[in-house]
Amino acid sequence: MTTRRDMLKWGAVLPALGTGWHGAFAAAPQGLDALVLDTRYPGALDLADASMPVWRFAGDVTPLWTGHLSARWKEPGHVLGGITGSDALFVLETLAEHRGRRVVSRLALDLPRVNGVQAYRWIIAPHHPSVTA
Amino acid sequence: MTIPSGMTEATFADGLAAMRDVVGAEWVFDQPADLNTYRDFYSVFWGEPEERLASAAAAPANVEQVQALVRIANERRIPIYPISTGRNLGYGGSAPVLSGSVVLDLKRMDRVLEVNEDNCSCLVEPGVSFFDMYRHLRESGSKLMMSVPDPGWGSLVGNALDSGGGYTVAGYRGHWEAVCGIEAVMPDGELLRTGMGALPGSETWQQYRLGIGPCLDGLFRQSSLGVVTKMGFWLYPMPESMLSASVSVMRFEDLEELVRIANELEYGNVFNGMPGFSSPVLARENPIVMSMVPEPEVMNAMVAETGLPAWSFASNFYGPERVVREQWAYMQSRFAHIPGVRFAETGFVRLPLTPEDMERIHKPRFGIPSLEIFSVGSRGYGDFNPSDGHIWFSAVIPRSGQGIIAANRVMRAECERLGLDLFMFVPSVTCWTRSFVLFAAVPVYKDATRNRELRDKVREVIATCASHGWGEYRCPPAFMDNVMDAYSFGEHKLRRVNEAIKDALDPNGVLSAGRYGVWPRHLREGRGA
Repeated sequence: MTTRRDMLKWGAVLPALGTGWHGAFAAAPQGLDALVLDTRYPGALDLADASMPVWRFAGDVTPLWTGHLSARWKEPGHVLGGITGSDALFVLETLAEHRGRRVVSRLALDLPRVNGVQAYRWIIAPHHPSVTA
Repeated sequence: MTIPSGMTEATFADGLAAMRDVVGAEWVFDQPADLNTYRDFYSVFWGEPEERLASAAAAPANVEQVQALVRIANERRIPIYPISTGRNLGYGGSAPVLSGSVVLDLKRMDRVLEVNEDNCSCLVEPGVSFFDMYRHLRESGSKLMMSVPDPGWGSLVGNALDSGGGYTVAGYRGHWEAVCGIEAVMPDGELLRTGMGALPGSETWQQYRLGIGPCLDGLFRQSSLGVVTKMGFWLYPMPESMLSASVSVMRFEDLEELVRIANELEYGNVFNGMPGFSSPVLARENPIVMSMVPEPEVMNAMVAETGLPAWSFASNFYGPERVVREQWAYMQSRFAHIPGVRFAETGFVRLPLTPEDMERIHKPRFGIPSLEIFSVGSRGYGDFNPSDGHIWFSAVIPRSGQGIIAANRVMRAECERLGLDLFMFVPSVTCWTRSFVLFAAVPVYKDATRNRELRDKVREVIATCASHGWGEYRCPPAFMDNVMDAYSFGEHKLRRVNEAIKDALDPNGVLSAGRYGVWPRHLREGRGA
């Protein structure tokens, strides 16, 4: 069960990791069920920490949605962390809100923009009773 | 909290309490963080007092709950605004047209009720997304293909009700054209079924659209007259193959003939896929923005200099390979008399698609929903440079060569005069088979000053287009009144008849007030202000 305390914990842990690429990946926060990495940003392929499922994509959220999230986000739980472009985050946030989930942490990273798109580190966690119970 | 104008807090609170009794407390939302979902992220009023905001939202799980919520709203005159999934970004999203409305979020009604393989049809609830339907079809081993918009995250029902379009076959890709049978909760809470659905025991609800008497389906298109709770669609039998080809001509003067023959071939069913008309020489700097059409001699000189065609017609053929190859051969024979004409087969795919095909195709042309467009054509939330989103400008123009040239020149000149930016401009979109739609994406901002200027400019463009006889078929809420104003024949008889119907069916004016310029009597004077 995801509690408010969990959400606060996840919301607090990411900013402490710093805004650089290595800080972002050096220690994925405990409690995440999966991590999403946007391979348009250099470094996303290098992450070795595989203590949780790591889903990589190159900006197009479609395979992530159809392959993983559409089904998982119908069920209770599932906290997702990610380092993606803001365009992908916008899509994921919209999809998440539709399924009773919310961005509980969002931090712009000191990474070069790719095609003008800013990279963010974020966590999406369930908040509606239908997916927290 | 924003509460409906003219309503006491006590009445509104009583209404929400009654709604909670119906759907459960967890499915009524009135906290700011929850209501964020129901903002229009591409609103041209973003952050201004005029931004259209929901007061609350309620998410029913079934038809009976929708009926109960509508009755609760009617009894207390609480404005309500139904959405299916609210994903029509650029046309209003999930935000109501009238601030203070309670959004009726139908996302929980997400059942695919029937897929009839023999009839090539389906019946769905409004919360079924294109992704849901695609998965259902594939997992059930269906031999059917649907038409999807791009992006494909919206609802079949919502997109059809908004007159959305896809990229596949004529008769299907205009999504409203593929509708067969509607169930709607009327403002009094009663249930209406259109077409053969009105006949108890009928097995033809998804076979014959018209039923008896006036066809009432149109009451629910872009309307404020009912909450659609079921909708039937015709689906296309999965074709054996799809062939793509292009016909290019090298002179300014050849456009009229190119479009005339293409129209004849499409209306005669020689090809069935979505055509495209473009100018390679005018779009060489940006493939999704056609620059101003110059004078003939200038354009012909550009063609000579670059070697690029003046105009190009792309066609798609869905069907058995033997058939589509013959159709393509016949098509070439029809254009062969044009001097310098070039033909090219640009793609051929056999279905079912292989994983390799999936990597290279434009998925919506095969009825496969996708979100890819967001990673190539849109800025995301939190990244407001150069734009915070966009609105669509979509005017219906004549389907002719002259139609393309006139619309291009007028729109280009207006945008230059007004300093209006476009990041996409295609004057000849063909989701609908008998007309072109001048399609333009206009950037919007999270800056009130810029958006105020933007609104004024867009209103000028609407008026200019109307003066040429070009009306928008769909628009964001900020411009619905302006667009409806342009349809002024008979001293605005269209709007007046719509208002008479509104008054008759929704005398308390609770449902979707102001949608597409039709306001209930008590808000008509100020247009919701």
